[in-house]
Amino acid sequence: MSDSEATAAEGPEVAPNSQDASSASTPDGSTPTTPDIATDVAPTRKARRRPDTKTSAEAEQTSKVEQQPPKTSSESTVSQGGWGYWGSWGKTILSTATATVATVGQGLTQVIEKAETSLGIPSPTELSTQVEDEQQQQGDASSDTDAAVGDGSSAVGSAMGMLSSLTSVVQNTGKTVITGGLDALEFIGKKTMDVIAEGDPGFKKTKGLMNRNATLSQVLREAKEREEQQTAEEESSDSEKKVVAHYGMLFDEFQGLSHLEALEILSRESESKVKSVLTTLSGDKLVELREELDHIKDSFSLMEFDDEDVDEKKDEDGTEFEREISEALEGLSVSSTADKLSKTCKSACRQITDMTHPENEEEESEEDVKKTVSVEDVHAAAIRSLAELTARSIELFHKVAEMILFSNSSTEAGVLSQLTVVLCKEISLLSKKFTSCLTAAGSNEKGDVLNPLITGVFLEASNSASYIQDAFQLLMPILEISHIQRSAESTEQ
Amino acid sequence: METIWLYQFRLIVIGDSTVGKSCLIRRFTEGRFAQVSDPTVGVDFFSRLVEIEPGKRIKLQIWDTAGQERFRSITRAYYRNSVGGLLLFDITNRRSFQNVHNWLEEAQSHVQPHSIVFLLVGHKCDLEAQRQVTQQEAEKLAAAYGMRYVETSARDAINVEKAFVELTRTIFDLVRSGDIKIQDGWEGVKSGFVPNTVHSSEEVTKGSRQCFC
Repeated sequence: MSDSEATAAEGPEVAPNSQDASSASTPDGSTPTTPDIATDVAPTRKARRRPDTKTSAEAEQTSKVEQQPPKTSSESTVSQGGWGYWGSWGKTILSTATATVATVGQGLTQVIEKAETSLGIPSPTELSTQVEDEQQQQGDASSDTDAAVGDGSSAVGSAMGMLSSLTSVVQNTGKTVITGGLDALEFIGKKTMDVIAEGDPGFKKTKGLMNRNATLSQVLREAKEREEQQTAEEESSDSEKKVVAHYGMLFDEFQGLSHLEALEILSRESESKVKSVLTTLSGDKLVELREELDHIKDSFSLMEFDDEDVDEKKDEDGTEFEREISEALEGLSVSSTADKLSKTCKSACRQITDMTHPENEEEESEEDVKKTVSVEDVHAAAIRSLAELTARSIELFHKVAEMILFSNSSTEAGVLSQLTVVLCKEISLLSKKFTSCLTAAGSNEKGDVLNPLITGVFLEASNSASYIQDAFQLLMPILEISHIQRSAESTEQ
Repeated sequence: METIWLYQFRLIVIGDSTVGKSCLIRRFTEGRFAQVSDPTVGVDFFSRLVEIEPGKRIKLQIWDTAGQERFRSITRAYYRNSVGGLLLFDITNRRSFQNVHNWLEEAQSHVQPHSIVFLLVGHKCDLEAQRQVTQQEAEKLAAAYGMRYVETSARDAINVEKAFVELTRTIFDLVRSGDIKIQDGWEGVKSGFVPNTVHSSEEVTKGSRQCFC
């Protein structure tokens, strides 16, 4: 149980989360969406674990799905519908997250859950089919889409009012949102953090989820614990129920949580060492060191994830990924961990190939696809692969941190940010492949079966990318202390 | 996937380089013995469920630390969140036995303000012919520090289960008696989820309601 939860929770232990949510959102309860979050959290979680049991919240959403224009409608309608939902998502993030810094981490998990019902369900199939469509007819479609996006975002703009900076971001990247669900989720998530940071100066220093009260591993651990509790309840109440793939539990199984925690320990220690060094310095030396540290900090905030590249590249078996990883890691002695990562990626690629292979043949084989690979199987494979790849990525960062600390070698932040980009790209690419796989396997399924699964994959992929980026941020104090120690050594000589 | 467990204990495994820490853990968690293995860098992680009483399962999360001196500054950071530990020495390597004292001091000073339950393990007991440390002197040392002593072999799978289960049971008793408490912000002991909370809801919630902020 986290510190932040312990201080906030006053009611029965079972519902610390909704407690937190309501206490977090009361300060600016003026937004109409705010009460929604608190009440919605629990049912939404349930809906994700067990798509077959319908809560009232989800039923409501499903009816909205039916009101959506049919798939055959023009692209402009689709994107407009989509934008409305994006808009409300952004708003939810802000109303939850600005309340207090301490609850940002939790606010975000709620947002992610929330996003599933409020924006995900109507569009994921459309998104993923459209990815394929667009790739085929990229040229002529783009002008249409751009126009449509202009409409949609201005509508959202007025609805969101104060969020002008977010809307402008959205306007600029409109096309990306439609072509790739994950990129959009991730991109908007990242920009939202910036917006939050602008409105809250105290937050800026601890960009990402890294504030003292809710560490990333705590957020993840709580997610895992909820899943475990749920699985335990399911096991005892109904043994026949299909066990749904739980990202958090799988992430822990691959020791992702432990590596993350160890990385956090090292990061925190380094941070306090840096601070204590700074307090011992004065005058020019202090100014000089501050400048040097700012330089390191800059390389950590400059990282941009360019999702344009992701569509271009086709890495069928993961060899391209392996090459990029070993390129990025040259000079850091973490080859065995990097090998594990490449293996994970290759195995994911192999699974995708196995699952999509029958589809390459003629129409008749459509039947085979349905029989041999169920949508649940594809979904489980996708979640498992994402969890494993993320866990291995965190492990890699942890090992890199240990190597930097003990070898005291000079490691460029640029190398690490390059690594982060490669990892996030891979996550994005995998999620796209898996969702096309899902769409193919579920062509005969009803939307209310398929959509939550596709949404689930996109959301966990988006989570994965944020975890990786946050883990990257944890490396900053480690590079700082390493730099300090190296310069101390050189002056001694 | 087995998800029902009463508690999770975090254990740390320490001792000189090459005494066989990783091999012992791998034998315990994976049931196999690797003839060749790379030296551990920093820390690695393993986990396994142990059933200490019928229906009472404990999840062990094992932190496998690097024994090499050059990693010491890093591994020190990892002690704090462990409730128990295996302190290994190699019975064919007298020096590793003499270092037991240093390891204990090192651990005690970095685990503050918490305490940690250690089990002394004389490893590689299959190599009887090369033995440099007698069982009697090891037992004496263990007793002096209030530890139990077990001799194990990862290669021949001797006493591997016993070492982990015994430590787990000791910790479990201390948790049950209230000598070790679950605390927020400390990862040493975590309570798990028990369906139909018949037998243990009290013990599980007892500690976790306390606030140490």
